[in-house]
Amino acid sequence: MTYEESRASAPEVVAGLSETLSRGARVRAMTTLVVGLAGALFISALWWTEPGPLPALTHVAFGLMTAFCLVWAGYGTWLLRTRVPLFATDRVVAAWISLAASGLTGGLLIGLAVQRGSGTGGVIVVAAVLVAITILLVVRAHSRRAALLRRERALSDDDPPSPASR
Amino acid sequence: MSDELLVVRAQLGNRSALEDLVARWQRPVWLYVRRMLDAERADDVTQEAWIAVVRALPRLREPDRFAPWLFTIVRRTALNRLRGQYADRHDLVGDLEQTDLDRSEPATRDPLDGLVDRAEMVARLAVLPLLEREVLVLHYLEDLSVQDCAQVCGVPVGTIKSRLSRARRMLREHVEEESEPT
Repeated sequence: MTYEESRASAPEVVAGLSETLSRGARVRAMTTLVVGLAGALFISALWWTEPGPLPALTHVAFGLMTAFCLVWAGYGTWLLRTRVPLFATDRVVAAWISLAASGLTGGLLIGLAVQRGSGTGGVIVVAAVLVAITILLVVRAHSRRAALLRRERALSDDDPPSPASR
Repeated sequence: MSDELLVVRAQLGNRSALEDLVARWQRPVWLYVRRMLDAERADDVTQEAWIAVVRALPRLREPDRFAPWLFTIVRRTALNRLRGQYADRHDLVGDLEQTDLDRSEPATRDPLDGLVDRAEMVARLAVLPLLEREVLVLHYLEDLSVQDCAQVCGVPVGTIKSRLSRARRMLREHVEEESEPT
């Protein structure tokens, strides 16, 4: 037999990963999730705090807009879970972006509810839960990254640089 | 640098560590896929497998078990490709064997003695059915333990042992047949 070799060299394989590893893909996936979720919450808050009875058609319109935003949020979640790799450092950044977005969305929701004078208690609870979840994400992301950094240090100590690399 | 250290750095987001990892494992991955598929599909499937590996890498919880985890993903990718083209395993194995026999080429000796046994084994693998061929590649060419082979193939350790035993027997019979005077 002859020794076969792949026609794609390692650098070519790495080049083929560039789209998967691109920053643009991560930003798009995060934006889709954050904007979709914030939109769904905002429209739900508008719907919930609407003073007075609403016509049936308005209920349908609010429901459709909320569902539309939820679909986008679901798509963003799917991208982040299966299509776009978020490494430990990316997760820390993403978690802080989520916290900022949830704080902003929560603040807007509460402001809206206070202005309209209805459903304030419920909106505050929703905003608090949202912020609490994203704080949990921040803590987990930092914890995971710290664990990896500790492991890296331990392995680096056990694995001194080769003479050629000194 | 160990695989584990490269994996941990890649999981932290270090791009050059990820590239080193790909460079280190590209050839073993391709050779494994090549034992299951023809050369043209092997290139495509290898690339697909690396994309799947990179997507899943942040979720790898045991960086020290990178090799079996890697081959599990590569195997799944190759089988997904095969499933799309074959209705059942019998056809699949038969076709693969035929593909391998069709492309059999005259042997050339590697100048490095240490590689001869491996080269001979690779050449002879074409006569084995897919499952036996796969376990030989993982165990003898990729140096995975029986336990790791079981993890990659998703079967009990006993099944791997019996496949190895069967594969060795088939190879031995094949060698004996070849060495018999005609």
